[in-house]
Amino acid sequence: MTLTSNSGQHAVEATTIRPLSQSNQRSGEPVNKEIKIAQDAAVSDIARPPASTVFDVSDLAVYYGEFRAIGGVNLDVGEHEITAFIGPSGCGKSTVLRCFNRMNDLVEIARVEGQILYHGIDLYDSAVDPVAVRRRIGMVFQKPNPFPKSIYDNVAFGPRIAGMKGDLDELVEKSLRDAGLWEEVKDRLEKSALGLSGGQQQRLCIARAIAVNPDVLLMDEPCSALDPIATGRIEELMQEIKTEYTIVIVTHNMQQAARVSDRTAFFTAELDEASGQRRGQLVEYSETGQIFSNPADERTEAYVTGRFG
Amino acid sequence: MAAITTPSEIRAGLEKRRGTNTGGQIFRTLLLVALVLAIAMIGAVLWSVGVDSWSLLIERPWSFLSNPSNSSAELAGVAQGIRGSVTLAAIVAATFPVGVGAAIYLEELADDNFLTRLIQVTVRNLAGVPSIVYGLLGLAVFVQQLRGLTGGPSVISAGLTLGVLVFPVVVITTSEAIRAVPQSLRDAAYGLGATQWEVIRHQVLPAAMPGVLTGVVLSIARSLGEAAPLLVVGAAPFYSTGVKNTLEQLTGAFTALPMNVAVFARLPADTWAAHAAAASVVLLVVIFVINLAAIILRNRISKKLGR
Amino acid sequence: MTATETIEHTPTSSANTDHREDFLGLPLPTMGSRAVAAGLELFFFILVALGVYLVEYFLEGNITGFGLSNWWIAFALMALWNGWTYASAQTPQGTLTSHFIADSTGAPAAALTIMVRQLIRFGLLYGIAILVRGVDVAVLVLVGLLAGACMFVAPKRRAPWDILAGTTVVTGFPSGAQLELKPLTSIADLQLDTKRGRQDGRARRLLFVAGLFSVLASALIVWSIFREAAKFVLDDEFSLDILTGIGWFPRRGIFDLWTLFVGTLWITGIAMLVAGPVGLGVAFYLSEYASPRVRRWLKPMVEILASIPSVVIGLFAISFISPSILRNIFGDIGIFSILAAGIGVGVLTVPIIASISEDAMRAVPNELREASYGLGGRRVTTALRVVFPAALSGIAAAFIVGVSRAIGETMVVFIAAGGSGGAIYEADPREPGQAITAAMASLGAGTDSVAGSGLAFQSLYFLGALLFILTLVLNVISDGVVRRFRQVY
Repeated sequence: MTLTSNSGQHAVEATTIRPLSQSNQRSGEPVNKEIKIAQDAAVSDIARPPASTVFDVSDLAVYYGEFRAIGGVNLDVGEHEITAFIGPSGCGKSTVLRCFNRMNDLVEIARVEGQILYHGIDLYDSAVDPVAVRRRIGMVFQKPNPFPKSIYDNVAFGPRIAGMKGDLDELVEKSLRDAGLWEEVKDRLEKSALGLSGGQQQRLCIARAIAVNPDVLLMDEPCSALDPIATGRIEELMQEIKTEYTIVIVTHNMQQAARVSDRTAFFTAELDEASGQRRGQLVEYSETGQIFSNPADERTEAYVTGRFG
Repeated sequence: MAAITTPSEIRAGLEKRRGTNTGGQIFRTLLLVALVLAIAMIGAVLWSVGVDSWSLLIERPWSFLSNPSNSSAELAGVAQGIRGSVTLAAIVAATFPVGVGAAIYLEELADDNFLTRLIQVTVRNLAGVPSIVYGLLGLAVFVQQLRGLTGGPSVISAGLTLGVLVFPVVVITTSEAIRAVPQSLRDAAYGLGATQWEVIRHQVLPAAMPGVLTGVVLSIARSLGEAAPLLVVGAAPFYSTGVKNTLEQLTGAFTALPMNVAVFARLPADTWAAHAAAASVVLLVVIFVINLAAIILRNRISKKLGR
Repeated sequence: MTATETIEHTPTSSANTDHREDFLGLPLPTMGSRAVAAGLELFFFILVALGVYLVEYFLEGNITGFGLSNWWIAFALMALWNGWTYASAQTPQGTLTSHFIADSTGAPAAALTIMVRQLIRFGLLYGIAILVRGVDVAVLVLVGLLAGACMFVAPKRRAPWDILAGTTVVTGFPSGAQLELKPLTSIADLQLDTKRGRQDGRARRLLFVAGLFSVLASALIVWSIFREAAKFVLDDEFSLDILTGIGWFPRRGIFDLWTLFVGTLWITGIAMLVAGPVGLGVAFYLSEYASPRVRRWLKPMVEILASIPSVVIGLFAISFISPSILRNIFGDIGIFSILAAGIGVGVLTVPIIASISEDAMRAVPNELREASYGLGGRRVTTALRVVFPAALSGIAAAFIVGVSRAIGETMVVFIAAGGSGGAIYEADPREPGQAITAAMASLGAGTDSVAGSGLAFQSLYFLGALLFILTLVLNVISDGVVRRFRQVY
């Protein structure tokens, strides 16, 4: 699948055939925009068709009051893949991420236009409850934000409110093991989570997020506040848990996107002549190898080669 | 100003500047005098109350604490006042959820609309209304309109009046504590699929608890010192205890420690001055202990939260 | 307090697997810890019983005697209860139903937890005993309903005292360690569980009602005061003439407002004369001169002054200010005088002015001070020429709030100014007088047997309305001043 472009001017190489999923019937999106090109030998090893589509975004735009923060976003997120959003500050990549679990609902002035299909269901349908969405689509934030409670209670909070009936201890242990934190904290589960180091806190936040057994994990620059070693741990962790979860990660760090992700979306912000405001847009979305070795858009190339941003 | 050129002129200029520093000395001395005056006020209050009550508290401490009010100076005590104050504190404490709830509403739920601003303005203005005006509210509403429920001038009426009195204080301190809870905590809980109420109940309130509890305990201390509204609501200067069941005690005549002080203070000083001072000592001890409890509570909870 | 914390089967690393075989995954306490806990229970049972007995003795005095009292009934029931639970706690079922207080590791609970539990048990029994003897069906029903509600809301098999005492109750038994995710098939799977949704909605509505309470309270104040005040003004006996006269004698139908206004003005003025310089001086010292260490000591001192109740200051005015200070200055001044009351109110106003002004001064950014020092300014210059002007609006607000408090202060004036039921017009502050608040207190104190005495009762509300408007205006002004001062920084 893949395709895409901010508004269709940039024909992008699509290396595979879109899977037959409901996302094919996207209304208002002419199918002939997908130009299929014979697979290039150089990129064939990274070009696997995803199992199915988790998110299917069409013409997404987010407004804060009158200000349009980002617009014209069209992309698909594949299941059990890591999708990275890169781009300079203020390009709206975090805003897009927060649309996926409706965290933007918490910002009073935010308004979302366009459509996000989640397994074929419109996330912004009036019948959908954002709380139920967030239970399936977990989130890890930029700054580690453990609750000021014990490590155990941090992990157990999600399952408790979701009405967990089983063995909470075992679930806590399993989640902490999955997050690679168990060995470090098993002797002080009842101690405050605020006593952990930054990297440990972030892994605790990941453990907390996967304890509710979500479908998707959204990560909003999860390593920006961490040192390189802690960052390396979290990147390893992402590769390990990718088999169970679909991951979307926003990152400032291009190397990180190149290392961990299967697909990469490049966003940028451009000055709108009419309003004089900077507003974000999606420039290019493709296989990660493609973005970094052979980008279709010169702005992407300029960014990944470090000439701006 | 003329240009300064020679060294002697410079020295003269500097000396002049040093000379002006006597102004600084005077200012500093004045500030110290103010400070000493303020401390002397505390000292004088505590000292005069202590000295005046000494003879009585040495002579019959136990019977003063355990006797009901009496027209005879040898028998009069503050047992009824203590009981009334304890009951008042319990009733005031029972009204706190309303204030805490209002603060949660203002900080977590309310949109920025006319109603919210109206609530904010009324809370701010209620905080500045003199306590005796609350007494009028209690007299008109709790004593007269709701006589069937409160039994007229009773400890229930007085407690509810004091509850309304401390309501704005509770709202303001709770609001401040809730505002200090970082947004990232709420985001984290929402991100796990918690409803707004679950976020408030399990994350925001526990994190704000030290501040909330301190404010709440301090407002109990404040309400315990209030006498003016009780006076208007109808606290009795003297009444006989008799054998009464709980309901009769709650809806019957009542008094409180500050009322004891006020009543004793307005009796002839020759025989009653020591009683007034001793009742003040009891009241001060109760209030200081509560304040101390607030501080300890705050420290303990902060430590438990790992901060 | 550790006791109110709900211990939710917190595991430790090793206990997790070792004890799983015991009984439905519940670790059984060892004999040693059982003995310790039983001993603690017995000890605290006796301690609590003794404590309650002492309180009862001292509250009830000699009325109850030493016969078949509430205490004895509660003591006997309690002993039975403890004896029964001790036996049943020795079985796994007993442990499961939380008769035995222990952490889930099997260690005995903290002493405080046990004590709170004993206290709550005794309180319940004692309370029931009182009620049964008083035979008050309404209250019995109320307590029953309350206890029932606690049981209903409580998770699993928790009794009310267990919730409060933090007894371990095992929630849920092992049945898999995964929170299953329902497959997403339709939009219904993205809707909230109705139970949680309803709970959320209920809570929001309740909080909204609590928020509305402030509006309700304000409306009630305005309604109750102005309704009666209007009765005063609209009464047949009312005419503008009765608002002037030789003084304030509500029972004789003479309501000379000027008497009260002059009294209030004198008291407020004297109070501000005392509190203004002292409060401002303390604020200056705390914010500009005091080292952090000194501040840590001084600030609580000011707070102590703020926490002294006004009745105590009233007493202080007549037992110390008048005889020990004013007598030495003015000679033959009486014990009760407006001057003494004014000084007393001033003492009460000091901490208000000090703390609000200090906040305003500390809000002045340090850059301004550093700039002043950099230009060679001395401390006094910095304080007076830089900090003072920058904090001026905040200090002004502090004074307005101080005036508002001084006007509204009741008990000091009631005790020390010497006006009782009535007061003759007096312009000399060395003589006894009457102020608005104290006149209200006298009317309300029943010295004038308020209710049913014609206009006297309504005049109470008339004064209340005046006072309400006066302080409201002052509050609005100070609010506006503060808002302006916040905008600066």
